[in-house]
Amino acid sequence: MLPAKAPEAAFPTTRPDGPGSGLTRKGSDTALELVLDRLTGGVADRPDTPDGWVTAVRRLPARGAQFGPAVAGVDERLRDVLRERGIEQLYVHQSVAIEHALARRNVVITTPTASGKTLCYNAPVLSSVLRDPSTRALYLFPTKALAQDQLAELHELSGLLSRRSDLGIGVFTYDGDTPQDARRAIRGRAHVVLSNPDMVHSGILPHHPRWAKLFENLQYVIIDELHAYRGVFGSHLTNVLRRLRRVCRHYGSNPTFICSSATIANPRELAESLVEQPFELVSESGAPRGEKWFLFVNPPVVNEQLGIRRSYLAETRRVAAEFLKRTLQVIVFAQSRLTTEILTTYLKDDFEGPPGTRDRIRGYRGGYLPQRRREIEKGLREGSVRAVVSTNALELGIDIGALDVCVMAGYPGTIASTWQRAGRAGRRTGRSAAVLVASSAPLDQFVVRHPSYFFDAAPEHALVNPDNLHILVDHVKCAAFELPFTTSEQYGGHDVQDVLGVLEESGFVHRTGAEGGADGVWQWTNESYPADAVSLRSVSSDNFVVIDTTEGADVIGETSFTSGPSTLHEKAIYLVEGVLYQVERLDFEGRKAYVRRIDCDYYTDAITYTKVTALETFANGHTDVGSGFSRTGTASHGEVHVSSRVVGFKKIKFYTNENVGSGELDLPEQQMHTTAYWLSVPRDVMAALPVTSDDRRDGVVGLSFAMRQVAQLLLMCDRQDIGISIGSGAEGDSPDVTRTGEPATLSEEPRIFIYDNYPGGIGFSEPLFAMDDELRRRTRDLISGCGCEHGCPTCVGPVGNTGPLAKTVALRILDLLDARSTTARAELPA
Amino acid sequence: MMSLTERLRGVVRPAGSGPVRAGGRALGDSESTSPDRVAELLGGEWRQASSHRYVVVDRAYAPGHRHGSMSVADGLPPQGGWPRLPLLGGSTSGGTLLFLDLETTGLAGGAGTYAFLVGCGWFDGGRFLVRQFFLSSFAAEHALLEAVREVAEAAATVVTYNGKSFDLPLIETRYALNRMETPFSAMPHIDMLHPARRLWRGQGDPRRDDTARRAVLPAGGLAPALGCRLSALEQLLLGHEREEDVPGFEIPARYFRYVHSGDAAPIGDVLEHNRLDLLSLALLTARAAQLLDEGATGAATGREAFGLGWLYARAGMMQEARVSFARAADMGPALRAESLRAYAVLSRRLRRHDDAAEAWRRLLELPDCPAGFVREATEALAVHHEHRLRSLLSARSFALKSLKMDASASRRHAAEHRLARLERKLGHAYPAALF
Repeated sequence: MLPAKAPEAAFPTTRPDGPGSGLTRKGSDTALELVLDRLTGGVADRPDTPDGWVTAVRRLPARGAQFGPAVAGVDERLRDVLRERGIEQLYVHQSVAIEHALARRNVVITTPTASGKTLCYNAPVLSSVLRDPSTRALYLFPTKALAQDQLAELHELSGLLSRRSDLGIGVFTYDGDTPQDARRAIRGRAHVVLSNPDMVHSGILPHHPRWAKLFENLQYVIIDELHAYRGVFGSHLTNVLRRLRRVCRHYGSNPTFICSSATIANPRELAESLVEQPFELVSESGAPRGEKWFLFVNPPVVNEQLGIRRSYLAETRRVAAEFLKRTLQVIVFAQSRLTTEILTTYLKDDFEGPPGTRDRIRGYRGGYLPQRRREIEKGLREGSVRAVVSTNALELGIDIGALDVCVMAGYPGTIASTWQRAGRAGRRTGRSAAVLVASSAPLDQFVVRHPSYFFDAAPEHALVNPDNLHILVDHVKCAAFELPFTTSEQYGGHDVQDVLGVLEESGFVHRTGAEGGADGVWQWTNESYPADAVSLRSVSSDNFVVIDTTEGADVIGETSFTSGPSTLHEKAIYLVEGVLYQVERLDFEGRKAYVRRIDCDYYTDAITYTKVTALETFANGHTDVGSGFSRTGTASHGEVHVSSRVVGFKKIKFYTNENVGSGELDLPEQQMHTTAYWLSVPRDVMAALPVTSDDRRDGVVGLSFAMRQVAQLLLMCDRQDIGISIGSGAEGDSPDVTRTGEPATLSEEPRIFIYDNYPGGIGFSEPLFAMDDELRRRTRDLISGCGCEHGCPTCVGPVGNTGPLAKTVALRILDLLDARSTTARAELPA
Repeated sequence: MMSLTERLRGVVRPAGSGPVRAGGRALGDSESTSPDRVAELLGGEWRQASSHRYVVVDRAYAPGHRHGSMSVADGLPPQGGWPRLPLLGGSTSGGTLLFLDLETTGLAGGAGTYAFLVGCGWFDGGRFLVRQFFLSSFAAEHALLEAVREVAEAAATVVTYNGKSFDLPLIETRYALNRMETPFSAMPHIDMLHPARRLWRGQGDPRRDDTARRAVLPAGGLAPALGCRLSALEQLLLGHEREEDVPGFEIPARYFRYVHSGDAAPIGDVLEHNRLDLLSLALLTARAAQLLDEGATGAATGREAFGLGWLYARAGMMQEARVSFARAADMGPALRAESLRAYAVLSRRLRRHDDAAEAWRRLLELPDCPAGFVREATEALAVHHEHRLRSLLSARSFALKSLKMDASASRRHAAEHRLARLERKLGHAYPAALF
């Protein structure tokens, strides 16, 4: 165990007073109180003030420890070791989780950071190994760094245990960094293998015969940070786990799954859809918690009419400085690598000691070398680093000790991730604070102006769609390579026999056997190693590589096929760690972009024209009235065809975001089939709008702009996960396009499509359809609650994209749609 | 609405993705062979075990059978085996050698890569026997592997070409997948790829480094089998030209065609290819073992002599190694610098300092000696002159040369240190020569 991490169970915690931490526990409590007084004007637990500077203040009271009973199945030697480390009693969530796991029931644990969740899986695993040394366990972490972090802790425990038993418990990481010559030894000696889904997918499962010992004796599979597996990554993980369980069946094992997750709305549902087995849920933490304050800060408006606020980065700097001045230890989360570097520079300017002294302010993000990262983590635990500015790289459970304050520059995008980041500040005793500084992005403004959405509502649902045909087919290939399918075998949500039949047509498999009523088998008959062609982090492994030709020809990055044209078109500015490159040539067929280093003060934003055609409607408000009284009859979801083309780009100046130029482009069209939610605005609603057709268009465009933001909020997805397009019912029209990619004119019955931006769809459209009411209600709140006059980037888009009536018309459309649904409801038979 | 099958076709074979790849049915028209005739067509016979059958093809090559410039009799091991065989790797010399070569359904390894042909060869009573096990249906794999095990257990040592990273892990995976003990894990193994590269790499190989057999390792790396293909060596050393040989990359497709359509005719050439590989492997092994017995005087080229030196040195046969390196240095310019350096290093280790110094000196006289060697030789000679010959002025002149070369900071530091010490010994108050 690392020196300054709080013990796993409730014990008088002494604050590790590192070299730089100037305050005692009590002293920092007082300091924090002083700063909070300054920020809140000394009024605690006051009502929310959406228009104020600090829009919300919440105090989450301290909570004492709740202990659970000792668990009989925990090995005596392990108990001794835990006692030696100061753990006499288990918290209640630990007791319950360990009990489930030892009884071989799958369990998912959602408890906050630093509540001792690792013991929930280490205790049953180590107990089982002590009892039967043939026992094996596999731990999966979403990143290699997390596996390394856990390795240190497990080594400590297993080392202590080995002294009390003749058993040397083997704990190893097995990932892309594991040297070739060490791999054989690990396969033989590891009781516990720490790995990641990518490695299991491409390095372990295809070579399962070499891992026979592991698979024959696999008792536990641990999936840490379960919430990280949503969308495409989660859909792939489900398939990797299907393959894992298939291989386990072959070797006669049936492992129990122990998962841990940050707080999301549906942890059990997510675990069950990822593992496809029933789960027990443990969600009540028994760990003690110190008092925590949560503040929302909205930078003041500097231009009322255009809705322009003061820079949120400057505001973040100011807030962080308040805490740093009182020698409190601070973590600042930024949204991108670029903003991380900018904020680090700001804070260094303000607080760094004289040259030659140790760095007190550090940056932290992907792209730093591991050694530098370890050094920063250590500095944080010891207290010599007083502030760290990080991307989401520190959001997951890397051990940095517990800090006093977390300041978030911008809303992290989801409720779950916001709580996760806030959790990096806070201890078991004493006071801590989290401050969210909103940017002017619509999502940020929505959250900061509707604090109860964040504090009172359930966090987001994490969604996966493991039966997306593209993903499923890839994994059926991998599975067929690993073990032949039998002709009666089932796999996933579609009939795998159909999948295999189509694969046979292309020579991937061959059906043999099936004599005398016995099952035939599908033999893999292809030279390839299918796992190599499947990346778990995307739908298609087709990608563009970026080649720097400044000196020679170095590959400096890659981009997925879908986002290639919009980010790597000619003259696009491509950024790597703050270094600017300009694309000189895009070889579309060869999937290569040639770039050259450049010094300029702008970046580029592509204008993409997207056309969506509905192919098939799965459900709409009319047919679904039986269960959906609240539906309007204008929302639908179904399968769509999306074709998109990058038609131009804008040059945007850094810092000021001024538009400083543009260009036209002619790139090949990209097409995909996917699923979508869409809202149809009926002809009579359009006709009832007492404005010109240009204003009607502006209203629909503005409405779609706002809906997109809210959809992202409701779906807990990343911005690029969904796309938006305005279409008509008609086929084949190719309307003029405005400078931002929207159609210049609309049909009489326009539709707003919000589609899954992945071939085959990733499962967003159906839940969005189910949340149609909420989607429209929150869209209305967003537009009507915005203080701007004629539209701004926070609601219906910046002035310039749309005309002066966009806001009014968008709201009017929503009103008319609601009126229709009320009428529809009234007309329904009782 | 599109049916599932139609949608699947769109995913598996998107429009415009070109013709179906090799291995599929679209490979061309093929004649289906009646299943029972497969053994006959391949010149073998059926073996049946637990209701599954596979094909065994036996061939015997008489002592007088010529394979290029060598005959089978030329490759026959002496009574009791070649004494210096262990120098090629492995840990035994006695007993029967089993030459093993697999034909597989891919180069990637992993559970889905099959060894559809297991070729075994051994010397017996003056003849070279080849027994090939052909996987005529996947279901017969267990029975086939059992039969291979019997052959393996009768031998003492297994000999392969690139078997360390390819053939043996692959067949071990097949045994493991069938839940069987592998006979090869405990068996001494000679992988001829490594000694062959020492002895013969880069000699007039026309296809060196281009179409080389690129075996992709499990982790995605490239096997070091480049530039030293078995067929290239066969041509170079044995002067054997293959006629209408099946290119290696085509082999999996031929097998898949057989699996999908039952057409066994194209497999015949694959079997012949495998037999020729086994024969070449056996004769090359014999050639290497004979060279080791004969010593450096038997070497035909500087490369051979140099390779011999390396193999001897690795086995601790220092005298033989020195002789080999010396001979390599005399046999032509190609590896002269490497040979002199190896000779010098070895002589120093054997405390024959005068011999070492002589070699370093000769090395420095070479017209295009690599910079690294020049640096090493200059340093070694500075040491030699200071400590052995006690000729301080000569030592100083070498040390000054060292200092003028591009070198790492630590080397530079060492040279400065040496120079300072020499100046002190010479009675100079200050290293004036530096300025």
